Amino acid sequence: MQSSSFLTISDLWIERGGRDLCISLSFDVQSGDVLRILGENGMGKSSLLKVIAGMLSPLEGYIFYEGQEVTEKRQTLQENTLYLGHSAGVKKALSVEENLRWYCPTSSSDELHSALNTLGLLAFSDSFVSTLSAGQTKRVALSRLWLSKQKLWLLDEPFASLDTEGVNILEKRIAQHTASGGAVVLTTHQDLLSIQSRDICLPI
Amino acid sequence: MNWAWFHKLGAPKWFFHYSKPWALPLFIVGCVSLVVGLIWGLAFAPADYQQGNSFRIIYIHVPVAMLAQSCYLALGVSGLVFLIWQMKIAPIFIKAVAPIGAVMALMALVSGAIWGKPTWGTWWVWDARLTSVLVLFLLYMGIIALQNSLTDLLLANKAVAVLSVVGLLNLPIIKYSVEWWNTLHQGATFTLTEKPAMPMEMWFPLLFSTIGLYCLVAGLALWRMQTEILAREHRSHWVKEEVMKHGL
Amino acid sequence: MTYLSFIRAEVLVLWRRKQNIFNALLFFLMVVVLFPLGVNPSAEFLAPAADGIVWCAMLLAVLMATESMFKEDYIDGSLEQLIISGLSLPLLLLLKTTAQWLVVFLPLLFMMPLLAEMLYLPDGCFWVLMATLVIGSPSLFLIGAIGAALTVSLKQGAILVMLLILPFYLPVIIFATSAVRAAQLGLPYLGLLAILLAIFLLSLVIAPCMAAIVIKASTN
Repeated sequence: MQSSSFLTISDLWIERGGRDLCISLSFDVQSGDVLRILGENGMGKSSLLKVIAGMLSPLEGYIFYEGQEVTEKRQTLQENTLYLGHSAGVKKALSVEENLRWYCPTSSSDELHSALNTLGLLAFSDSFVSTLSAGQTKRVALSRLWLSKQKLWLLDEPFASLDTEGVNILEKRIAQHTASGGAVVLTTHQDLLSIQSRDICLPI
Repeated sequence: MNWAWFHKLGAPKWFFHYSKPWALPLFIVGCVSLVVGLIWGLAFAPADYQQGNSFRIIYIHVPVAMLAQSCYLALGVSGLVFLIWQMKIAPIFIKAVAPIGAVMALMALVSGAIWGKPTWGTWWVWDARLTSVLVLFLLYMGIIALQNSLTDLLLANKAVAVLSVVGLLNLPIIKYSVEWWNTLHQGATFTLTEKPAMPMEMWFPLLFSTIGLYCLVAGLALWRMQTEILAREHRSHWVKEEVMKHGL
Repeated sequence: MTYLSFIRAEVLVLWRRKQNIFNALLFFLMVVVLFPLGVNPSAEFLAPAADGIVWCAMLLAVLMATESMFKEDYIDGSLEQLIISGLSLPLLLLLKTTAQWLVVFLPLLFMMPLLAEMLYLPDGCFWVLMATLVIGSPSLFLIGAIGAALTVSLKQGAILVMLLILPFYLPVIIFATSAVRAAQLGLPYLGLLAILLAIFLLSLVIAPCMAAIVIKASTN
C-alpha cells in the first residue's frame, strides 16, 4: 500500500548528543493527513522534523516518499516539502515582498498581495523585515504557505508568536491545504482548535 | 574482501579494548629506544668533520621533524576517513594526536634553532625546511584552536576533519611554494637538514632515535585516545564496567 | 526557491549592506598605508616591496570581508532553508562566494592604479600585478568561505578564521609576488600565473563541497 501513502517512516532511530530520541519509529502520512508530534521539551520533536527534511541523518531507518526510498538522496522529497523551523528564515535586510519573491519566484503579484492581505501584512509589503515585530516576522515566514505549491508541510511550532487571529488564519490554511490533497506534519504544544489530527507522542 | 573488521575498528569500545594492552609496551619500547639512540648519538658517535659536535642535534631534530610531518599526514587521512566512512574513532584520533604533533613541530623548530646558532651564528634563518615546519606548527595550532572553540561535539568532529583534509591537500602546495620562495631568496642551497652520506656509526643511532620516537608517540597517542574514548562514552554501560573493574 | 531567485536575493542583501563592503575596502587602504608610515616612505623601500604590500593587504582585507559571510544567514534561519531547498548546497555556496567576490574585489581593482602610484610600483609591473590579483583573488574568497563556514556558529570567530586560513593563503601570495618580481626582472612569469590558476581551480572544486559539509553540520 506504499503507493497511496505520501510519506512513510520506517524503523527510524535518531540519536543526538548521546541520547536516543526515538528508536524503531514507524508511521505513515497519507495525503489529507494532519499529523501532530507531541512530547516534552527536548524529547526530539524538532529533531524528527529535521531528519525528515534532510538536515539531520538518522542512525538507522528508512524514509519513503510516494513509494520511492529517499533516505540517502532527499532531493525529490525536499523539492516537494516546505519546512518552517524555529527561526523564520526571513532575511532582515530585505523587504517583505523581496523575501517572498526569493522563496516563491513563480508566484504572480496578485497571489503575493492576496497572501499578504490574508495575513494582514499588505501595508508592510515594502517595509524591511528588520522593522517588523516578532509576530509579524513569523507571519512573513508563514506567507509561504499560501504561495508555495509544495505538497508536504513540515512545521515546527508554527503557532508560536501568533495571536489568536493568527492562529485562526493558520488553522484555516492548514485545513485548506489538506482538503486539496496536501499533508502536514507539525509540532506544537497547543491543541488544534478546528482541525482533526493524528497524534504521535515522543519518546517511543 | 570482508570489510567488517575495518568498520569494527571504528567503534570506540572495540578500539579501546583492542588497544589497551599495546599502549604501555609501545611507550616503554619507545622510551628505551629513544634513550639508547640519543645517548649513542649525543655521546658516542664520531664528531662530524665539518660541523664538529654541533651536528649532534640531528639526533633530536630529524626524528621530531619527521614525526611532525607524519602526524599531520595521519591527521589528514583520519579526517578523510571520517568524512567518507564516518568512523567514530577518527575525530578521537585527530583530537588526541594534534597536540602531540604541535609539540613535535615546536621541538623541531627549537632544535633547528639550536643547530643554526653555532653553524650560522643566528638563532633563526628563513630556509625552506624551517619555514615549512613553522607553517606546519601554525596548521596544528589551527586545528587545536578550532577543536577548542566549538562546543558542539558533532560539529567539532566534522569541522576539525574538514580542516585537516583541507590542510592535507594544501600541505604539498605550501611546501612546494616555500621551497620555491626559498630558492628565489637564498640562492645557496645549504639546507639545515641536508644529510650527507653518513657512516654507519652515525646513522645507526639516528635510526634508534627515530624508531624510538615513533613508538613513544604511538604509545602516547593510544593513551590519549583511550582517555578521550572514556570521556566521550562516559554514559555507556561498558565504560562504567571498565572503570569499576580497572580504575581510571 | 530557484538558483536565480537566490542570486537575486543575495545581490540585494549585499547592496543593502554596502557599508560592509566599504569597510573592507577602507581596511585594505589602511593596511597599505601602514607600511610607508610604519617602516619607510622612501621609494627605495616601497618600490621593490609594493607588490608584497598590496598582496598582504589583500589577504587581510579578504579575510575580514568573508569571515562573516554566513553569519547573518545562520542567525536568521536562511541557512537552514538553503540546506533543505532541494537545490545543490555546494552550488548555492559557490554562487554566494562569487557574488561576494564580484562585489568586494571589483571596486578594489579600481583602487589599484592609485595605490600603484602611492607605492611607487615599478613600471612594467602594473599589469602583471593586476593579472595576479584577478587570478589569485578567487582562491582567497573560496578558501575564506571554508573558514567562514567553520566558524559560522561562533559569535567571535574573526581572529580564529585568520589563524585557520592564513596558512592556506601563503602559496597564493608567494607565487603572486614571485610573478611580479619575475616580470620586473624580465624573466618569464607565465608559469607562475599558471600555478595561481591551478590553485584557483583546485579551490573551485574543493571549497564549495567542504564548506557545504561544515554548514550542514553547523545548523543543528
